[in-house]
Amino acid sequence: MTTPIIRFSHATFGFPGVIALQDISLEISEGEFVGVIGPNGSGKTTLCRAILGLMRPLEGSLQIFDCACEKLRCHHRARIGYLPQKGVLERNFPITVLEAVMMGRYGALGLFRRPGQQDREIAVEALENVGMQDHRNTALGHLSGGQQQRVLIARALAQKPQVLLLDEPTTGVDITTQHSVLDLVQHLHRDLGLTVLLVTHDINLIRSRVNRLVLLKTRLFAAATPEEVLRPDLLRQVYGKDLVITQQDLIIVEDYHHR
Amino acid sequence: MIEMLSYDFMQRSFLAAALVGAVCSAIGVFMVLRGLAFVGAGTAHAAFAGVTLAYLVGLPPLLLAVVFGIATVWITGVMEEKGRMKLDVSIGILYTATMALAILFIGLMQGYNAEVYGYMFGSVLSVTPDELRIMLTLSLLVLAVIVLFAKELYFVAFDQEMAEASGVRARPIFYLLLTLVAFTVVISLKTVGAILVFAMLLIPASTAYQLTHSLSHMTIYSVLIGITSAVGGVALSYVWDLPSGPAIVLLATFIFFVSLLLSPKRLRRVPV
Repeated sequence: MTTPIIRFSHATFGFPGVIALQDISLEISEGEFVGVIGPNGSGKTTLCRAILGLMRPLEGSLQIFDCACEKLRCHHRARIGYLPQKGVLERNFPITVLEAVMMGRYGALGLFRRPGQQDREIAVEALENVGMQDHRNTALGHLSGGQQQRVLIARALAQKPQVLLLDEPTTGVDITTQHSVLDLVQHLHRDLGLTVLLVTHDINLIRSRVNRLVLLKTRLFAAATPEEVLRPDLLRQVYGKDLVITQQDLIIVEDYHHR
Repeated sequence: MIEMLSYDFMQRSFLAAALVGAVCSAIGVFMVLRGLAFVGAGTAHAAFAGVTLAYLVGLPPLLLAVVFGIATVWITGVMEEKGRMKLDVSIGILYTATMALAILFIGLMQGYNAEVYGYMFGSVLSVTPDELRIMLTLSLLVLAVIVLFAKELYFVAFDQEMAEASGVRARPIFYLLLTLVAFTVVISLKTVGAILVFAMLLIPASTAYQLTHSLSHMTIYSVLIGITSAVGGVALSYVWDLPSGPAIVLLATFIFFVSLLLSPKRLRRVPV
């Protein structure tokens, strides 16, 4: 866990008239499992888009695989498996599970090359990794929210990525499914040696699973072990509320605690 | 009934209809999946404005149809991409503005021009050998590009941002798709007309959407339904002496409603 593969150096990102992330300096090393937390509008998704090379820094720099993010080529992007924030997939959208996972191969294949048997085998292997191999011919829209997340993680794995970038993968699914999705991500991190960046609102769910937590609110407030980051004073600065850590190690808003 | 195949103009009509059916229904799949169905309507009216200007100033109608079609479809694409306004609003503005231009150009013409109205309402029975050659060339070009970029087009139709994040050149592919729409509209103008070409882009693909849960199967079904509707519509227009454009579109609409009734998605049988 020593080689940095993502390096923010005083990087600022934003849109016309809006600074979404300011003066971020952060290194993420190969093999790390990093959780990214912060309130709504804190720049978590912007961080993801920056790492994917979809935004260029207004100031500073961002290096990914030793390449400036604004010069990131398609073959670099293919090395980052991305699970976007869960959108609503229309139930009847005509795509099977295997077709969706095969799309993970398209970026790596490049233009004019059609997916072959080897790509199909990689896609099936990715489905096996997430335990969805028996659903390969099922319509994606007919799966439950948790199963769809697994399939989309398989799509990201089919890219044969070095980095897995997950933007709120547990949003909109029940608590059992949240745990099962995070167990899966933990297993992929451990067994496949993937570097994982996981954006979430649920601090309680990920604090015991990650090596480091990154705490954002436009600026980088902390990037350290969960014990170092989850301090009431730091959380109060970022969330604007008194957060307390209970005897069960749960972080809750103090107002609710006192009811 | 077989005698109609012995006429040269009918042979040309059937071939033109089959080409339009195939090209519209193939590109229609990506438009329906990507949520760009109404772009077809806007582009068709823009292309018609190009045709009317061409007749007014004495230039080749298909050339100006392509220019107007591509310009409109790209402006729509930029608006959609920038998210400055909702897609239906930007299409609505361009749709009505280009139609106003077309009416203006027609008003500036000296007298009545039947050929212009042929492009408005379609007249497959009057397709000339030269027009058929142009249609054949453009159709093969569009179909070849679709086959060549099929995997990227599918990914962009499924989720453009995810495609881009995965290393697919999603933005150029999106504009390629829009350009193909413009060419498809131009290919189809003479056969089904500016008003009805939108239906050929939308209906076969929407019919196929009802019938399957697989992207590849949807494309195959859409093309088969598109060709069947177009060729069947021409045959019906000959037999019952109907205008060809409406016959094609109404047959496609009939097949759509039958597919709704028989749709495995509605019947909860879900073969892939």
